[in-house]
Amino acid sequence: MVQAGSKKSSVSKINTKAGISSLIIFVVLLLAWIAGFSSRLFAVIRFESIIHEFDPWFNYRATAYMVKHGFYNFLNWFDERAWYPLGRIVGGTVYPGLMLTSGSIHYILHLLHINVHIRDVCVFLAPVFSGLTAISTYFLTKELWSAGAGLFAACFIAIVPGYISRSVAGSYDNEGIAIFALQFTYFLWIKSVKTGSVFWAVAASLSYFYMVSAWGGYVFIINLIPLHVFVLLLMGRYSNRLFTSYTTFYILGLIFSMQIPFVGFQPIRTSEHMAAGGVFALLFAVGVLKYMQSMMSKSEFKSLVVFGGLISAAVVFLGVVLLTYAGYVAPWSGRFYSLWDTGYAKIHIPIIASVSEHQPTTWFSFFFDLHILVATFPAGLWYTIKNINDERVFVVLYALSAVYFAGVMVRLMLTLTPVVCILSGIAFSGLLELFLREDDSSRGEDSEEEEQSTPSKRLYDKAGKVPKMKHEQSRDTDNIGPNLRSIVTVVILLLLMLFAVHCTWVTSNAYSSPSIVLASYGSDGTRQILDDFREAYFWLSQNTADDARIMSWWDYGYQIAGMANRTTLVDNNTWNNSHIALVGKAMSSNESAAYEIMTALDVDYVLVIFGGVIGYSGDDINKFLWMVRIAEGEHPKDIRESDYFTEHGEFRVDAEGSPTLLNCLMYKLSYYRFGELKLDYRSPAGFDRTRNAVIGHKDFQLTYLEEAYTTEHWLVRVYRVKKPDEFNRPRIPIANRIVKSSNYITKKNIKRKKGTIKNKPLVVKGKRLSSKQ
Amino acid sequence: MLKLNLFLLFLVGVNAGEQINSYLIYKNVDRSIDLTSQLVKITSTITLENAGKDPIKNFLVVDEPKSDGKVVYRGVKDSAKQDLNLLPVQVDGSDNKFHKVVLRQNLEPGRTATVVLEEIIAKGLAPYPSSISQKEKQLVRYFGNHYIYTPYTVAKQKTDVVLSSRSVENYTKLKPVTQSDNTITYGPYTDIKPYTEDQLVVHFENNAPFLTVTRLERVIEISHWGNVAIEEQIEIKHTGAKLKGPFSRYDYQRDTSSSHHSIKSYTTVLPATAHSIYYRDSNGNISTSSVKHRKDWIELELRPRFPLFGGWQSSYTLGYSVPSYQYLYRTPEGQNVLSMRFIDHVFDDMFVEEATTSIVLPVGVSDVQLIVPYQVEKLQDDITYKYLDNMGRKVLRMRKNDLVEQHIQDLEITYSWQPQLLLHEPLLISLALFILFVAVIIWVRLDFSLGVPEHSKKE
Repeated sequence: MVQAGSKKSSVSKINTKAGISSLIIFVVLLLAWIAGFSSRLFAVIRFESIIHEFDPWFNYRATAYMVKHGFYNFLNWFDERAWYPLGRIVGGTVYPGLMLTSGSIHYILHLLHINVHIRDVCVFLAPVFSGLTAISTYFLTKELWSAGAGLFAACFIAIVPGYISRSVAGSYDNEGIAIFALQFTYFLWIKSVKTGSVFWAVAASLSYFYMVSAWGGYVFIINLIPLHVFVLLLMGRYSNRLFTSYTTFYILGLIFSMQIPFVGFQPIRTSEHMAAGGVFALLFAVGVLKYMQSMMSKSEFKSLVVFGGLISAAVVFLGVVLLTYAGYVAPWSGRFYSLWDTGYAKIHIPIIASVSEHQPTTWFSFFFDLHILVATFPAGLWYTIKNINDERVFVVLYALSAVYFAGVMVRLMLTLTPVVCILSGIAFSGLLELFLREDDSSRGEDSEEEEQSTPSKRLYDKAGKVPKMKHEQSRDTDNIGPNLRSIVTVVILLLLMLFAVHCTWVTSNAYSSPSIVLASYGSDGTRQILDDFREAYFWLSQNTADDARIMSWWDYGYQIAGMANRTTLVDNNTWNNSHIALVGKAMSSNESAAYEIMTALDVDYVLVIFGGVIGYSGDDINKFLWMVRIAEGEHPKDIRESDYFTEHGEFRVDAEGSPTLLNCLMYKLSYYRFGELKLDYRSPAGFDRTRNAVIGHKDFQLTYLEEAYTTEHWLVRVYRVKKPDEFNRPRIPIANRIVKSSNYITKKNIKRKKGTIKNKPLVVKGKRLSSKQ
Repeated sequence: MLKLNLFLLFLVGVNAGEQINSYLIYKNVDRSIDLTSQLVKITSTITLENAGKDPIKNFLVVDEPKSDGKVVYRGVKDSAKQDLNLLPVQVDGSDNKFHKVVLRQNLEPGRTATVVLEEIIAKGLAPYPSSISQKEKQLVRYFGNHYIYTPYTVAKQKTDVVLSSRSVENYTKLKPVTQSDNTITYGPYTDIKPYTEDQLVVHFENNAPFLTVTRLERVIEISHWGNVAIEEQIEIKHTGAKLKGPFSRYDYQRDTSSSHHSIKSYTTVLPATAHSIYYRDSNGNISTSSVKHRKDWIELELRPRFPLFGGWQSSYTLGYSVPSYQYLYRTPEGQNVLSMRFIDHVFDDMFVEEATTSIVLPVGVSDVQLIVPYQVEKLQDDITYKYLDNMGRKVLRMRKNDLVEQHIQDLEITYSWQPQLLLHEPLLISLALFILFVAVIIWVRLDFSLGVPEHSKKE
């Protein structure tokens, strides 16, 4: 095909070359999309099309509500089933981008009469968007480096575990679409910096608007882009292009972002957004100075810059401090502080620290999530720094800040992943460009071969056969021998293959569990499905009153609302710490104290997760210390963490555990009647498999609660809170109540006997004493 | 449908004011009251005798005025096991509800004939006590009549009451009565006057599943590509003795006896050709079910997500597909006929309180006619849109209350339809793809930008 094209006229040559290269780009991107989509389907194939984990259940519920009741009703939705008795204004406390996206997909499909259930739209949204992420990563990398690097980056991000972890089918969360929005915004921003055109800047701010509507991580963009501008200014790379693009982007982005009800006035009133405004002012100041420079002498200008710069900087800084002090600008939020001081959350906000994904990242998880990319991306970074220009400054800053944040919180690994893919793409592209370059001089067709090397190089990362044959023919130039070339190529291909294998393995084993359906494998390979969560939630939905209020730890709030459709006290939107602390206090108090709290909160049922029978480690007893800590934060007089430890400072549930622990509500609800259960013949009764201990407090009765339902593997236990008339004494229906009448009256009335003295001894001479007459 | 209704109206009008023929006597009645399940099944073998001079064409059966439960099915067969028609009639000077049974052959004077009357009564067994704890056995009481309630004189009658277990708390002892194993035999009683009532009470243990389908929505969707899809949305409730006090999983796991009043699973029978079976609820797939292929049917063992105790309810969706060649055929006149069950088996001895059946016809049908096996309430027709329909599909909807297994009967829908409509949707898709490709070709080949094209700068 190529050779045929080369013999034709030059016009058709260009067409064919452009055609082939765009065909390859198209095919590679399509394959990346398909590979990314299909590798995210493990959970659907192994289990079913179902929403995973915790937060996605809320998003799904909100989406279903929006589809049913319309967008405006969704914005005005007051959810009285959450945070009883407070309720939650959902429309104003949610990033609606996710719901809007899947809602509009659902709407369009139904307009075409493709009757897809909204659940399936939600389940497959993240895998579909992963393809879009790959494409926008391609465009971003292409702007930064080359199309070849872009294809590498697109392929990497399609299958890299760090991104898959948040975007498998069923993981219906903000991050799924936000990474696409993030990459696309960055692409448009780079494009606008490059061209200085208002069009691209407006497009960037629109994309930013979508990002704001989708994820709280938009703060990353609104700090990174100003940082980029600031560093460019410091490097003396001020240009009119930069001025146009940033001013357009900032003003439009600011106005757009304030349209989201949840964001509201935050962009002008919180510290997190102040940097963007400062850079905006600074850019104007620099612009003015540049203009003045053309009119003033050098010494005048120098003094103006020094004094003017100092004074204006002081004024701006003082202004921000004063506004913060006066309360017009909110200081940094706790979550933001915890980004700088990793110990901050643990001391001040236990509720943030209690979430596992807010823990600092381990080295292991860097490799686990990024594999070979974690080693190659510094090389890419080095390439970009070596060949720096305006837009490459951006990617350097992106990489440095993302590495820092990823080190602070496991969750922010997600923002690091795209830049790692971009830079690794650049690194691999640079490597292959060097080692796969055909020696042009030895061949007759010079420009032809140069052009051709690009597509053939791209072919190498997909299938290495065809170019390898050509490669063997290449001769020794550039001091790189053919043997070295082939060895390096083979090693690179092996690395890439290992990477793909690792990605699939990680996706399949670590990130594809719906976590509401558990599966265990027997020794003969048979799979047993533990469906206890849905069993319990479905029981609640079918067999409790519609307005029943269910108390559980906040982790399960969204699931109860989504699957059981019942009122919860606290849920995963942890906006009210004291309410959560109250639930934590109820769980960590003894039964009678807990009963008072539960009556005050109108609790009808209590739900606990107990993994002792099957050895499920994420159960409530293992989370219990966090409940105690959070409760202690609000009620230090009643709850003390030290009471729950043994004298040696251990947290144990066996006979040596602290008496406070052995008598608290959570312990009793988890282990009620567990002491009688023998799991197998070897272990004693009441052996907790999760904590490998025989429980310390076995035979106890519940006074204020009764077991309402326990699932098949005891994973979820639901208790009903008794009404006050039920536990004082057994309740007798009015019809059966018998008022005891004394025998005295009946005897007298019925038998009409004369009055007698009761038990009067009758004395008859010569006989034994008898009370009978 | 309209025709059928008119026909029924016509019959009712003609038969108003029926007389009771006092020359007809029941020479012998053998009743068997089957109380082993949640339904009361009364089978009476009646020997009719004509003691008069004129031949008798028909006889009357009558609803018992004071009886618990509801007669949900009544059928009469003659000695050749042929169904006899039952028609509601009124009798002058009586408030009772009568049904007239027309005999196939006139009963000549002095001759006898044998008929079998089958009655099924739902909710005839009342749990007593009405709420029990998890460990207790479920006891129920049956209130009936020692004698067959009839407008005719009965010469001789015997009743067998068949129970589900030997443990009987109590029963009325109208002599002669004997109990052996799980059967109580009353009678023979002789010369019973018409309309004689004498309460029969049996209080006994019955751990049969007291499971009621409170609502069943059945949707049958015809595709002329060769498939009939059936989806049933079912709400079930345990209507036995209510659970009192806590539910203990520990006790439940230890109790391995097979007869327990809670319901762990039940079996649904599907047609042998059923495939693509799914069993799910609002939270997704219910992973506890198994399919067994028998020779002539498919047995589906369904386990609800949780065991059902008294007063507990659950709901699920069961769907499957069957190939259409067994159910859909063409008449020589070119009409299409679909013959499908109005309801299908849910579990043995089922009782369905309310069933709604919808039939989704293909796109563009006309001349729809519906023949139903028994009287149903016809609901407003609907229009629905399936995959890529731009023309709606007609949906026939009908409803009936109180159904039992005997109501599993076919209904027939006849309609006209053009086979070329099958190509409608493939053509639509091809057209859409064609337009897409043309658009892409135009987009790629032509330059729409206002400024200087970028690639020309590069070159």
